[in-house]
Amino acid sequence: MGWTAAATVLLLLSGTPASASARLDDGEVSTKGLTVLQTLLIYAGIPAALFLVITLLVLAPGMARGPRYRPGLGWWAAPVWFNGPADADTAVHSGVPTIEAGGSSARW
Amino acid sequence: MPAGEAFSERQNSDIVRAIRLAKRQSELPVSVYVGTLEGDTRAAALRLHGALGADAPRSVLVAVDPGSRRLEIVTGAEVRRRLDDRSTGLAAMAMTSAFQAGDLSGGIASGVLALAEHAQTQRSLHTDTR
Repeated sequence: MGWTAAATVLLLLSGTPASASARLDDGEVSTKGLTVLQTLLIYAGIPAALFLVITLLVLAPGMARGPRYRPGLGWWAAPVWFNGPADADTAVHSGVPTIEAGGSSARW
Repeated sequence: MPAGEAFSERQNSDIVRAIRLAKRQSELPVSVYVGTLEGDTRAAALRLHGALGADAPRSVLVAVDPGSRRLEIVTGAEVRRRLDDRSTGLAAMAMTSAFQAGDLSGGIASGVLALAEHAQTQRSLHTDTR
């Protein structure tokens, strides 16, 4: 793929259609080579651009989703209480801790 | 890690749906707290359960502390009769195995449903004549 892309760009940059020259270009007659800038663009610029595009494609979904919970890496979010008291802070401060409770505890 | 919302919109609605289902199918009021439980986690969970006020004896509180990896299930004095500690232990096990895999909202939702199921079968044992 890299080779095809390089060849295409080379053709475009040199500006001479392949059909224009009657003789087959077999490299026997030396013509104008690539400039330093062209060489850099083809052999460093294109791979770097591809690298960036692929990296972005890989990272984008995760970045859009935001942080995800991983056990052992801590917790970052503010507390949430589903189906809890309307004013949680005052309810916790003024409430009496339950005494005769059942249930269970677990760790992971 | 940056501060942010604990759950995405869809995860939120999953949990809310499970709580609503527990209420409708088993008349089991479940309250789910996700956040830090400071100090003694059991005492903190009991304090949260007490904060439910008049509903506390009939309610189940599921308190999850993802930071210190602790889960507390508190059943009120009334609801205890149809949801024994063995059932809550089973639900806790289902939850923690999901939490271990990093699935916080899924674990909570399936745990709440497990609690509801146990509460229902427990009650039908006394009322069913089959």
